[in-house]
Amino acid sequence: MFKQPNLLFRLTAIIAAVLLCFSSFTRSNKASGISDDLKKTDRMSARKNLTNPAIDSITIPLKRAGRLFLIEAIIDDEAGNLIFDTGATGLVLNKSYFRNHTVVDQQSSNGITGSVEKVENINIEQIKVSDLLFKNISANLANLGHIENRRGIKVLGLFGFDLIRDYEIIINSKNNQLTLHCIDKKGNRTGLISKNFNASYSQKIETLNNIVFIKGNIGGKTLRFCFDTGAETNAVSNLANKHVLNTIAINRKTDLHGAGSAKSEVLFGVMNDFTLGNTRLNNMETIVTNLEHLNEAYGMHIDGMLGYNFVTKGILCINFKKKLLGVSFPKTSEL
Amino acid sequence: MKVLIKYILFLSIVFLMAGCRTQYNPNDTCRVENGRIIFQLNLHWNDSQKMEIAHRFDLDSALIARVYKELKNITFNSIEWKVEKINPDLVELSKPVDNNAIPYLNPNDIFMLDESWLKAEGEQERESASYGVNQFNSSHIVSFKDDIATFFLPGQQNVQKIYLAGTFNNWNTMQTAMQKTDSGWVVSVKLLPGKYLYKYIIDGKWSLDPNNILKQKDSQSNVNSVLFRYNYHFDIKGYQNARKAIVAGSFNNWNSNELKMVRTADGWTLPIYLREGTHAYKFIIDDQWMTDPANSVKRPDGKGNSNSFLGIGDSHLFQLKGFTSAKEVVLTGNFNAWNTGELFMEKTTDGWQLPYILAAGNYEYKFIVDGKWITDPDNPFTSGSGDLTNSVLIFKPSYTFTLNKYSNARKIIITGSFSNWNPDGYRMLKKDGTWTFPLYLKPGKYTYKFIVDDQWILDPNNKLWETNEYGTNNSVLWIAP
Repeated sequence: MFKQPNLLFRLTAIIAAVLLCFSSFTRSNKASGISDDLKKTDRMSARKNLTNPAIDSITIPLKRAGRLFLIEAIIDDEAGNLIFDTGATGLVLNKSYFRNHTVVDQQSSNGITGSVEKVENINIEQIKVSDLLFKNISANLANLGHIENRRGIKVLGLFGFDLIRDYEIIINSKNNQLTLHCIDKKGNRTGLISKNFNASYSQKIETLNNIVFIKGNIGGKTLRFCFDTGAETNAVSNLANKHVLNTIAINRKTDLHGAGSAKSEVLFGVMNDFTLGNTRLNNMETIVTNLEHLNEAYGMHIDGMLGYNFVTKGILCINFKKKLLGVSFPKTSEL
Repeated sequence: MKVLIKYILFLSIVFLMAGCRTQYNPNDTCRVENGRIIFQLNLHWNDSQKMEIAHRFDLDSALIARVYKELKNITFNSIEWKVEKINPDLVELSKPVDNNAIPYLNPNDIFMLDESWLKAEGEQERESASYGVNQFNSSHIVSFKDDIATFFLPGQQNVQKIYLAGTFNNWNTMQTAMQKTDSGWVVSVKLLPGKYLYKYIIDGKWSLDPNNILKQKDSQSNVNSVLFRYNYHFDIKGYQNARKAIVAGSFNNWNSNELKMVRTADGWTLPIYLREGTHAYKFIIDDQWMTDPANSVKRPDGKGNSNSFLGIGDSHLFQLKGFTSAKEVVLTGNFNAWNTGELFMEKTTDGWQLPYILAAGNYEYKFIVDGKWITDPDNPFTSGSGDLTNSVLIFKPSYTFTLNKYSNARKIIITGSFSNWNPDGYRMLKKDGTWTFPLYLKPGKYTYKFIVDDQWILDPNNKLWETNEYGTNNSVLWIAP
């Protein structure tokens, strides 16, 4: 069912892969293709970003704007909210507030409507989030005004896993907090008194470009989902297996209109048969639509996205070093 | 035999009618099966049921009408719809699932739900409260002096940092740090009368105020502590021997058990927050309803009794000079839904006047002099053009738009998200070469532009601007809470 990329795209991908292998080889002599290992040697120990190096973990309060989670940050001289968006591959900043920074790099990317869009990169001197301080960070610029206008919040940008992937990350949506634990090379917590995360379910995850991919089951099929806290709802590809789509009760449909005559059909419903291991998650709202553009952008075929609704099902623990997702579910009746 | 047939016919009609009544469940209408989206429609649905289905699933009502009329395959807007009657009551309308990509799906963006769906799920924000009284389980938890509220969190001696965050500081998590004392943590913030939600952030963890009984759940099941900054107190002198005294009014739906007054040295009192506007009320002393003896403003309630009235907020004096020979002058505006028979102005020696209590805001109004509508001749601020020109009253403006160029322009309009981008919107006023227009804007984000002699321009003095979805640029303004 998954549409094969055309020849030109494949050729471009192969060239890009070769170039990437080459550049990482020259930098680290540890080339391993397009993988997260690329950046490993560029990273310093996570602890150096803590403003108080004596502590082993920090808790960052999350704020809510409807179904979105916000993190407060001070970026150079600008203070405000970043949306915690684990679907973003890197730090993305709102052009409205950062357009005066010098653009250091400009890449072309294929826009969704076939047009070529320019992605501008800037360098920021520092970003402070709670007790974390990152210096000399690269960020993409994007127009994010529409999020501000639709959700009524000031949005400085999007904050994904990029800057915090060297910590063990605990997302507790019930208490609205994000806890980061310092970990060693093997991914074990370094704190003396820190207990390990008490997971009622765990799975090995795939990661690529700072994105986490989770496997879930619907209608007897195993599907790959992108974990995206910046998605206000879960999503399932409308190209998914028919047994998968047959289990989704559709409540609403809408046609989204883009530029010109571009139109896309979006269905909204409930997944009645979503399981993670042996745990069935009820009331998993989802939209059903075409997600092919995300496949291309993430460089990975995905069948769906796990968004807001999934994040509220339990406490999530993500460990990039161990490539492990742990979930602590509340009592079954509360799922 | 004929009787039997008639009986069977009657029974089946009854059965059918009962059937179609029970079969209207919009949630069971649509399914996806083998790559097709299928709508199961009941042939007995009435027009409003058909309309709801059309609305819910974004189907053209003309398509639905044709399905019911033709009962055969239909090509509509170049989509081939299959129509299949599956039994005498049901028809299935189907087409292949559309595979077009969402036009703006992008990893470096947020995947937002349609606002109408969020509303359907009951996720809209609650309206602000019209009244409120605090409930603390210990004294001095929040104390007020003038505009300043001091928050006190007892204990917590072993923690590193505590911040206070709430609607008063836009839930800022790093701005309002508390100071440690021997007995707990304190911080003072400026609070104007109103309702506020807040929480403490104790070493990064959100915590309710343990000494505040009032809590409120938001649409996402988060619970926050609730605080009211008072702006009024009900007082009654005497009645020292009464067992209880209660205030009831239009603001709390005349609840006769809720707002208990507190005994003082010479009577009873109740400090309270009341929303701006006009409120009717009465006291209940030992189950005996009575108007406020200290308040002369009483109006009939239409049922043979009367109520006391109070107004919260400032009053604006509408004045019209001249027209002394007119028989009557009526004030009308969007503050009273353009009612033309309510606000009769009082005659003075040199004209007409009427004081009226208003909340801060932008209002449009006109005077009706003996049936003839006129704008306020002494008010330079107007909106609209020609016969549709209204006078504009900016009551307690919170921002003034300024443009100090284009001194030779004929006409400059300020328009934006606050006026639905009305190109006939607020006409700016030129004074000493500078164009200005004051507006009351609630805290939040606004996008705007100036229209200088029909040419739309960004605010040259504002470095904040954004590109909207249509590729045009708008200036951006944030009004802080």
